[in-house]
Amino acid sequence: MTRHANAEPLRGASGRDALVDEFVDNWRGLDGDAWLARGGRGEVRRTIGEAVRTMVGDAGPETRHRVLAWATADLASLELPGLLAEQGCEYVPWPSGSSGGGGTPDHPQATGASNGGADGADAEAAVTTAAGLLTLAAASDLGITTCSWAVAETGTIALYATPSTGRLPSLLPTAHLALVRPSQIVKSVPDGLRLLADHMAQHGGPPSAVNLVSGPSRSADIEGDLAVGVHGPRRAGVIIGEW
Amino acid sequence: MPGELPPAGATWPERRRRALADPVMRAAVAKSTRNLAAKKEAAFAAYPAGEAMRKRAVAARRSSLGHTDALLEELTRNVEARGGHVSRAAGPADVGRYVLDVARRRGVRRVVKSKSMATEEIALNEQLEAAGLHVRETDLGEYIIQLAGERPAHILVPASHKTRQQVRALFDEEAGRRAVNPPTGDTTPELTAFARRQLREDFLAADMGISGGNFLVAETGTLVLITNEGNGRMATSLPRVHIAVVGIDKIVATWMDLADLLQQPALSGTGQRLSTYTTFITGPRREGELDGPEEFHLLLLDNGRHELLGTEFEDVLSCIRCGACLNVCPVFRTIGGQAYGSMYSGPIGVVLTPLLGGLDRAPELPKSACALCYACGDACPMEIELPRHILALRRTEIERSMEPWTVRLTFELWGRFWANPAGFRLTGRMARLGQRAYLRDGRLKGAPGLVGGWTATRDAPPLARESFHEWWWRRRTSRADT
Repeated sequence: MTRHANAEPLRGASGRDALVDEFVDNWRGLDGDAWLARGGRGEVRRTIGEAVRTMVGDAGPETRHRVLAWATADLASLELPGLLAEQGCEYVPWPSGSSGGGGTPDHPQATGASNGGADGADAEAAVTTAAGLLTLAAASDLGITTCSWAVAETGTIALYATPSTGRLPSLLPTAHLALVRPSQIVKSVPDGLRLLADHMAQHGGPPSAVNLVSGPSRSADIEGDLAVGVHGPRRAGVIIGEW
Repeated sequence: MPGELPPAGATWPERRRRALADPVMRAAVAKSTRNLAAKKEAAFAAYPAGEAMRKRAVAARRSSLGHTDALLEELTRNVEARGGHVSRAAGPADVGRYVLDVARRRGVRRVVKSKSMATEEIALNEQLEAAGLHVRETDLGEYIIQLAGERPAHILVPASHKTRQQVRALFDEEAGRRAVNPPTGDTTPELTAFARRQLREDFLAADMGISGGNFLVAETGTLVLITNEGNGRMATSLPRVHIAVVGIDKIVATWMDLADLLQQPALSGTGQRLSTYTTFITGPRREGELDGPEEFHLLLLDNGRHELLGTEFEDVLSCIRCGACLNVCPVFRTIGGQAYGSMYSGPIGVVLTPLLGGLDRAPELPKSACALCYACGDACPMEIELPRHILALRRTEIERSMEPWTVRLTFELWGRFWANPAGFRLTGRMARLGQRAYLRDGRLKGAPGLVGGWTATRDAPPLARESFHEWWWRRRTSRADT
């Protein structure tokens, strides 16, 4: 809907461009991967392919990489199953909400989860219990999500937990890739929290969980030496573009 | 109600001796503290917005403390409206009882913890392990410390006193116990890979996650959790029960207050602009959600905090546990964290340990573990008057008559003499006469009575033959003569 209107500021120097640059610089400064896809949907799709190759590598003919993605209408419009198949990856949608409208669809409890994941045929059998879901996410090589907003000056993306946008795809897979629209990038953390306040006003409160993510998991607990990926994703990537 | 802290273990002289005799630890602590202090300074220098936010954050923290009780009630209502449970815990026993009760009801056997000072403070692990639960610390540094059977040496980097060789030895032992492959080497990626593998297993098998909390937002009943590794997210997303143990001092009124605070732990702690993962948790998972805990419990821990509200020490409750005061403290840099005999070390530990656990718990900290250099007062992003508090506690400790009467008499006499110029000059003349007996090779190598303690381990230059005052008057008189 706002797709075309937002594509415009990508060209020419503007405040938006400066925010994109600042976000990308800071994200890369945190050892994150970043790609700019300025050419619309087609280029975003091509860039996802490139990001997948870079972040999870080639699996070889025997083993297919598993990619777990939020099942929102927004991501569905990118036709990930075909795109990932071309990269030799197995596409697994987050089981709940794949038939929903992308926002906060009303879905049955965890026991009914397998119905929602019917189009991810490979994974369907595994995901009938919460434990199965954990195993599935932990055995995934890449999680793909969008985000609710991003912060330029800290290199941060915000992820809201809803039935269709679970917490695990950005946490348990070895790598996490988030798609960010240029229009979603704000300057500061307080600017971002104002967007969260708008969401709260519309929905009667905050989501059950909001995660602000700034690059890949890091620790300096061994001799102050930077260690990446102790718990969360070892690689964290963003693609900035309109689709 | 006063709080209760775990015992210090060894005596202060013994802890101090052990620390001073450990050059490996001391070198590691000296390096990590200087490194973190430099990163903090660089971060603020490159980020003026951070300083503006810090000033507003101080005001927000102070104002929250002014109506803590009302905010806690508001928070409780909002957490409960979201299907969470809230309980007030006076001290360690209350928390232990509550957690074990939930564990029994939900058939919990395995617990994962993300780093939390509050649970260190109440020795929760020991309580749970005594009841037969398996408890795993999941912060990499805390994991190392747990394997070593030690206490954290730094609020922020608990294992900063361990070398990679020591870490590898601990991991090798753990690999033996679990019958898995040991780390392939002692490089950081190899050690990290081992920890990731083991801790992943613990996370996936855990029934309960226990976390602390960096802040609580009253207006929506939200718990704010900040980590760099992601273990906070794991512990609060994977297990079916999540219990957060959070000090009542962590409360702020609104999200706009939080907005100014959110980056401060990272800026002052590690010099990052924001920690890698910041999580806002409001209640358990909602209807239709497939992940996140089924039950969410918030334990509001008092343990001596409420008593500090409205006292001269109230601002101590605005501490954000960033560790900045540790990193600039010459005492901490010399002896490391474990010598303090408390989970709170460095200047904040010198103040907080006796305030929460009573002066009897740690009389030596305000008395001996401070050089009065005031560096901590400058370093604290929340502008807590640490030097003033240390002096106040030191005064209280002295006034409790813990010192022998000879010391009090000495200081009283000293004070009386130095209260006027004549007395001051008189003591100088007496000292110049008296020092003759102790002069060896032009240095003072001893002194009578109590002053002898000063020269027991060091010599001192002698007093000059003539004081400045005498020299001045002599010159004036002789010039007037010519």
